[in-house]
Amino acid sequence: MIKFKNISLLILLCCSPLFVLAQNAAVVTVSGEVLTPLELKREDLTAFKPLSHKVKDREGKEHEFKGVALIEVLEKAGVTTGAKLRGENLAKLVLIQAADGYEVVYSLPEIDPEFTSNVVLLVTEKDGAPLPAGEGPFRIIAPQDKKQARWIREVRSIKVLFAKD
Amino acid sequence: MKRSAQIRTGPVHRGHKFLNVRWLILSIFVVCFLISGLRFADNKAEPYPLVYPANFGGRINVPSNNPTTREGVALGRKLFYEKKLSADNSMSCGTCHRQKLAFTDGLAFSVGVDKSLTSRNSMSLVNLLWVRNFFWDGRSASLEDQAVFPMTNEHEMGQSLETSVRKLQQTPGYREMFRKAFGEGDIDADKIRKALAQFERTLISADSPYDRYLAGTYQPTPQELRGMNLFMDAPAPERQVRGANCGHCHGGPKTFKELFHNNGLDAEPADSGREVVSRQAEDKGRFRVPTLRNIALTAPYMHDGRFGTLDEVLDHYNEHIRDSPTLSSFLKGVSNEKGGRTLMLTSGEKADILAFLNMLTDTTFINNPAFSDPD
Repeated sequence: MIKFKNISLLILLCCSPLFVLAQNAAVVTVSGEVLTPLELKREDLTAFKPLSHKVKDREGKEHEFKGVALIEVLEKAGVTTGAKLRGENLAKLVLIQAADGYEVVYSLPEIDPEFTSNVVLLVTEKDGAPLPAGEGPFRIIAPQDKKQARWIREVRSIKVLFAKD
Repeated sequence: MKRSAQIRTGPVHRGHKFLNVRWLILSIFVVCFLISGLRFADNKAEPYPLVYPANFGGRINVPSNNPTTREGVALGRKLFYEKKLSADNSMSCGTCHRQKLAFTDGLAFSVGVDKSLTSRNSMSLVNLLWVRNFFWDGRSASLEDQAVFPMTNEHEMGQSLETSVRKLQQTPGYREMFRKAFGEGDIDADKIRKALAQFERTLISADSPYDRYLAGTYQPTPQELRGMNLFMDAPAPERQVRGANCGHCHGGPKTFKELFHNNGLDAEPADSGREVVSRQAEDKGRFRVPTLRNIALTAPYMHDGRFGTLDEVLDHYNEHIRDSPTLSSFLKGVSNEKGGRTLMLTSGEKADILAFLNMLTDTTFINNPAFSDPD
């Protein structure tokens, strides 16, 4: 029995470098001014209410994006939303970073339903399929933005930060 | 200190007003004297002003534990050109980062102390103040961290920091320079890194013809202007707009954005680039989008120095993009012709873009005596 244990331990130890070198699953992290930092995989988003949004591309072809409301994700992380979005919390911003280094910022009231009827989405699907490489697995869709520069693709990190003066 | 002194001696009763004012003046003198005394004892290094145009933006990176000082920069400059930091005293940072070549070495791969080649092309050192992730794969988060790699890597300068510290301790002049830069205490590895980082932060290039054009003091030639427009614009054949869209990743007054992309060099990249750092499959073949400042001086090009000339680089983006799962989406299906599969710029347009790229050469920067070997 002891011998067995030793062997399995040995195997485990030998394999551990493989685990270290193994590729990480694609996740989006939520960190910064949060109560609970999150690390979400695509499938973790099924815990939130599904939403969709239809967009016409440059050629006039319609695409349907599916995902969840970004505010729900922020609430899960314990960000100061809703009734707590007052006082100094109004000086917080949401910095969203992509795999290629691209970054955009939203303010909390731009996302919070008590301030706006616009819904900023964190989407994972386009036309019934997972977002393709270079766009997914996570993307932001902000229908209220005429220019799509903040519809950031390949989202890796969402940070809630205080604006520094 | 001054404030608490004021509170303690501040006028409370009308009758003592005159006396209190005298006390206040005296206490201010005492405080000033004490402060000046402290300054002396600390031998505080003098702040080094980092001057740059407002349109470069203020998102600069200077760690709070390593402020840039005149003494620190002077030491960093000396260390940058110090060959004793290499195993056989043959190389300094300046060997692979030559000022005349905008701090590159003109080689595809550099030769280290062990006579072997580095795995990637020596990068231009310029406007590092704005960079947040260093190296071609962005693996290092600060200049202080970055400096360790080339100094200790066996295929580069190949010497442990402990050995470097010992050699500097035995070299006349260094103890005094370190003391002036960092106060009392002996030479150590941390101070070597910090001094090098301070010097590198001063390598600001902001006087190319393009900078002067943005400042309104240079009138570009018609060809340069055509090249500038092609560089900045995305092609839109449906609106008769021709462009190369270079600015999408290389735009802005610094011609640098902190981005990592697979620019279609290979269908199967031999060097997986940023994937090694992030361990994410989506990052395979992604490398830093480098600054284009002084680009005419920094041949050969790409992380592996595969292109000897800028003409070859333009040909690559125009005609030879290789598709792969991680190819940048900004390089896919972009063409100046309706239904075109490649960029389809004319040779005249390529010449125009080349004229604009030559506008990014900053001769003030490559001749600035403050950046040269002090010895």
